[in-house]
Amino acid sequence: MNDHLIVLPIVIPLAGAAVGLLLHNRLRWQRYVTWLAITTSLFFAGLLLWHVFVAGETIALEMGGWAGPADITLVADPLSAFMAFMSQLVLWAGITYGMGCKDKCARYPTFFPLFLTLAVGLTGTMLTGDLFNMFVFIELMVISGTVLTALSDDYFGPEAAFKYFYISLFAALFLLLACGSLYVSYGTLNMADLAQRIAADPGRPMLPMAVAMLMAAFMIKSAVVPFHFWQPDFHTAAPTPVHAVLSSVVVKVGIYGFIRMNSLLFVDYAATIQMILLVMGAFGVFFGGLGAVGTFDAKRMLAYSTLGQLGFILVGIGWGTPMALAAALIYAFNHSLIKAAMLMLAGSVASRAPVKTANFAKITGLGKVTLPAGVLFLLGGMALAGLPPTNGFLSKLTLFRSGIMAESYLSLAIIGFGSLITLVYVGRAFQRIWWEALPEGVVPKPQGDRLIAPAILIGLCLVLGLWGTPLLQAADTITIWLSSADHYIQAVLGGAALLTP
Amino acid sequence: MELVTALAIGAMFGIGIFQLLRRNVIRSAIGLIIISNAINLFLLASGAYDGIAAAYQDAVGQRSDALPQVLVLTAIVISMGGFAMVLAMLYVISARYKTSDLDEIKRLRH
Repeated sequence: MNDHLIVLPIVIPLAGAAVGLLLHNRLRWQRYVTWLAITTSLFFAGLLLWHVFVAGETIALEMGGWAGPADITLVADPLSAFMAFMSQLVLWAGITYGMGCKDKCARYPTFFPLFLTLAVGLTGTMLTGDLFNMFVFIELMVISGTVLTALSDDYFGPEAAFKYFYISLFAALFLLLACGSLYVSYGTLNMADLAQRIAADPGRPMLPMAVAMLMAAFMIKSAVVPFHFWQPDFHTAAPTPVHAVLSSVVVKVGIYGFIRMNSLLFVDYAATIQMILLVMGAFGVFFGGLGAVGTFDAKRMLAYSTLGQLGFILVGIGWGTPMALAAALIYAFNHSLIKAAMLMLAGSVASRAPVKTANFAKITGLGKVTLPAGVLFLLGGMALAGLPPTNGFLSKLTLFRSGIMAESYLSLAIIGFGSLITLVYVGRAFQRIWWEALPEGVVPKPQGDRLIAPAILIGLCLVLGLWGTPLLQAADTITIWLSSADHYIQAVLGGAALLTP
Repeated sequence: MELVTALAIGAMFGIGIFQLLRRNVIRSAIGLIIISNAINLFLLASGAYDGIAAAYQDAVGQRSDALPQVLVLTAIVISMGGFAMVLAMLYVISARYKTSDLDEIKRLRH
């Protein structure tokens, strides 16, 4: 019975979305149902995390009850459970913010059901053990995210959604090509079975092509720098709660994919993949930081900042030592919390502007009317730049330490520069919004978006900064688990004999 | 016949990429549809489909691998939903921007 726990974080939001659609003309009840669904689902994701980390049991559930690798498997190993919990936590915060936000689009009858299907897609991508099923969940996630963006109050919302969807659809087609190439070579799409067969016979001609296609698909998914051009445009126009979720946890799908490729599927190619990730990550830190300094819009600045922060995580994966991998995981978790909170704060300031915008020229001095948001933004900015006592310090510390241990000084210098740049642009945004005087004649709206969700996230950042042991231990457990692909294969297939194709 | 299938996949992919890079939004969307169909054909071909016998049996008359066909069906359904949405968004965009030139759809850029 315990094994069925893994289904709940996927099925509960889906059921909530269905009930929410039935309640489309009772919006108050729809909101209650949505919040109840995501809270229950977060609870079960936490229970799953507890089950995997504290009780030490991984779960591999074969859907439909067919034995062997022929069916779709849902797997909760330490990495999946960690990523799924992280996603659910930020999604919960995003929905909580959406319930208190003043945007007109949040009163659209399909807004919250779409948010829940986004949760289904994201959690499913992290928990599935089948490559094609991952494609299906990614498509669900992309379609929900696109519709949520196209609903935006911003007049240019459809343009942003169009750009995102076009690129993401193209990326999904590459994922499909990779599925086809792997299936024609190895006759299976179950990731554990695939890893076993690739390790047994790495010489198939279609394999390098599949690796390249998967790399391209995941790079577009997480907006790694040469593939990033849609991302700042898209994020400027999305509604704030959607933007906060998409820019913090949805981009982690690519990170999850890279870690799985490195440690499970293509262990033989790990050195090449890591080298590419290291170069692109270092470039991303540089480019994202400079791009963020050059913007004139708070939300766009944070979107560029995401490019830079993803660069840090990729550099961590690229160094490839166990400690660097642990640092990348800690960084990914912390970045999700910090970036979601920062975007919500920027959005709540934008909602105070006479005409809703996050353009620095229009929101100068608006912070005078929301001092609590200023305190939270300062703490979040410190976390983003990596200053103690926040969790950002913890992630930067572990990352730099693992860089010194790996003796990779050039990339270390680049990410050090990137960290300094972070301080520059966060400081500039804080100064423009909260330090400068309110210009004459600008009348801020009396009420903006509620600050409860970013306050909870920033509170978590502080708690994790002061008491980071659980996070460090979790990252340690994951790294030990990922050190050998056999752990995952054993957990899923249970030592079943290799099936001949 | 395998060669014909392979050439067809390659040609469709090439035409699709060419159309995708055109400036007209409708042509570009059609390019995406052609690429998606090239990939569906590729998936079908991965199930030992050589174009001689029907896709559900191989040349000797045996049952052929059914899984790629299931994958193709799922991919077709998903891409149909996706393209319906692309076209709906194109409709809204062309109404708001009064243009069908992709180079002019860039008002988000500061």
